[in-house]
Order: sequence, then structure tokens, then C-alpha cells
Amino acid sequence: MTFPWFGKKNSAKTAKDRLTIAIMSDRSNNSFPFLDELKAEIIEVVKKYIDVKEVHIQKEAEDGIEALSINVELKK
Amino acid sequence: MGIVIAVISGKGGVGKTTTTANIGLGIAQNDKKCVVVDFDIGQRNLDMLLGLENRVVYDMVHVMDDGIGLKQALIKSKISDNLSFLAASQTKDKSVLDSEKISKLIDSLKKDFDFIILDAPAGIESGYEHTIEFADKALVVVNPEVSSIRDSDRAIGILDSKSKRVKEGQEVDKFLIINRINSKMVQNGEMLNSDDILDILSIPLIGKIPEDREIVDASNQGKPIILSQDSQAGQAYKRIALRVCGEKVDFVDVESHKESFLQKVKGIFS
Repeated sequence: MTFPWFGKKNSAKTAKDRLTIAIMSDRSNNSFPFLDELKAEIIEVVKKYIDVKEVHIQKEAEDGIEALSINVELKK
Repeated sequence: MGIVIAVISGKGGVGKTTTTANIGLGIAQNDKKCVVVDFDIGQRNLDMLLGLENRVVYDMVHVMDDGIGLKQALIKSKISDNLSFLAASQTKDKSVLDSEKISKLIDSLKKDFDFIILDAPAGIESGYEHTIEFADKALVVVNPEVSSIRDSDRAIGILDSKSKRVKEGQEVDKFLIINRINSKMVQNGEMLNSDDILDILSIPLIGKIPEDREIVDASNQGKPIILSQDSQAGQAYKRIALRVCGEKVDFVDVESHKESFLQKVKGIFS
């Protein structure tokens, strides 16, 4: 049992927990600083053959396997 | 050929420039030829910390754009013959940086020096990418607090994707410097300890620097704290400089709070 008015604050533990989660989410969102370039190049390549509206790229991780899923949305 | 080391951080104000000045001087005092380059264009500060602000005539932009020779622009430190300094431009902004010119500049520095230490702008600023582009290694400076640690992880991410070495399939070795450790707060559980920070960032540690009031005094005078034999922070920088030079130096525990009797007495009266 802890008495908050006697015990140590121990906010360092809180900081560590919050940081671990924040950084994990940052890493999965920002793991491709070259994302925009990649998107632009894919659009260029596909556009030679079909009209492209947009490209969605997502990083997925499952069972220790990392994959890039690329969805090309076509113009109607 | 010299080794290029970028001193980086996520956010500003964590002690990057102080670290560059001290480690640069430490390397020079260890008999290696060292040049420190201020890449923080528009926010020149390294000259002040080294006490060389009155001797800056030409800066790196003069060298890159105006045909001024490196020899003319490099300033030798009064403290150590082995240490030279190249100033950032104070009048231009970071958009003047250009990969090709930087590459040329760094290549010529590599011929003359064993270590080329680049003081980078903060990782969120433009100009950061140019500083890390040609780095062989990086020293990542963090403070034991959440915003500094979070932002540094992003700066490391940029380094790992944009540097020339990485693009060529090699790695840029990164080493962590934890700056401004307040041992008393760590002991009280009010500040992240170094093990926690290493867990979160997962890069190897190269040094821990305790918070030290003398740092302000040192920058007031333009004399890096490493020159002070009885400063804990100065000694910590000295150890890091030796490790950068490849020497094996034991880590000193700066996180356990030890108060000498004299400090305790002082504490009562202050």
C-alpha cells in the first residue's frame, strides 16, 4: 500500500510508460520519411498505364512479419 | 581520412552545442586533430561557447559560395592547437545549404583532420537533414525528460533513412549522451534514469552528464567546462571524448546522489 503524502512521487515510471507507447506509435506512423517520394513515384509508374486517383501506403506487422500494403485508387 | 560525427538532438536547448564544444576540445586534448563545425545556420552559438566570437571573419557559407579558402576561414582555438573551428553563417538562413557543396566542404576537412564534429540544428528544423547527410557516426543528446526523448527518436528515424551512408547500405553508428541528469531527482523517482532511457531508445550509451551549475559560468566566459578539473560535468565530457577516440573508459555512476558533508552544510545555509 502506498501513501501518496509520504511516498516518493515516482513520476519517472509514468514517464517511461507514456513514452514507450508514444514512441511506438510515432515509429509506426513515421517509419517512412520517404513515404511521399514513394507515393509520387508509384503514381508516376502506374499513370503510364491507368489513371490514378490516389495511392495509400500502410505498414503492417503481424506475427513478426512486416509488410507494406499499397493500395492504388483508380480514377473513375 | 577523418571521421565525421554529427551531434544531434530532437528538440533544441538540450545542450548540443555545449556538448560539441566540450567533446571537440576533449578530442583535441587527446592529441587528435579535430575541427568543430557549426551547422546551425542563422543561429551561430558555438563561437561563443569556445570564446572565439571575436575572431570570426569568414564562415562556412563564404567557403562554400564565395571562394574563400578553408585555411582562411578556419579558426584555431587558443586553448588547444589541435582544435579548429568553422563558423556558421549568421546572416543567411538554412536554405543556403546544398548537398553538393557540403559534400565538397566535408571532404576537404576529412583530409586535414582526424575528427570532424558537426553541431547540427535540432532534428525538427530544416538544415538538420543536410548536417546528417555525410555523417559516419552520430552522438544523440537527450535530457531525461519526455519531450526531448520523444523528439530524439524521430531525429534518429530521419538519420536512419536520409543519410548517405544508409542509402549506400551501410549503417550510421549512433551513441546516446544523457545530459543534465539530476541525481537527486533520479533517486526520488522524479526523473527517468539512464536504464529507462536506453530501454526506450535502444541505442548504446556513450556518456551521462550530471546537471552542473558551472556550465552557465563556463559559457559566460567562453571556456568549455571540460577545462575545469573539479566539475563533474567537465569530467564526464572528458570521458566521452576519450570514448569517441576509441579508448575504453569505465562508466561512472552520476545518478546515485552523494552529498558530501560540506555540501550538506552548504545546503542548510543556502
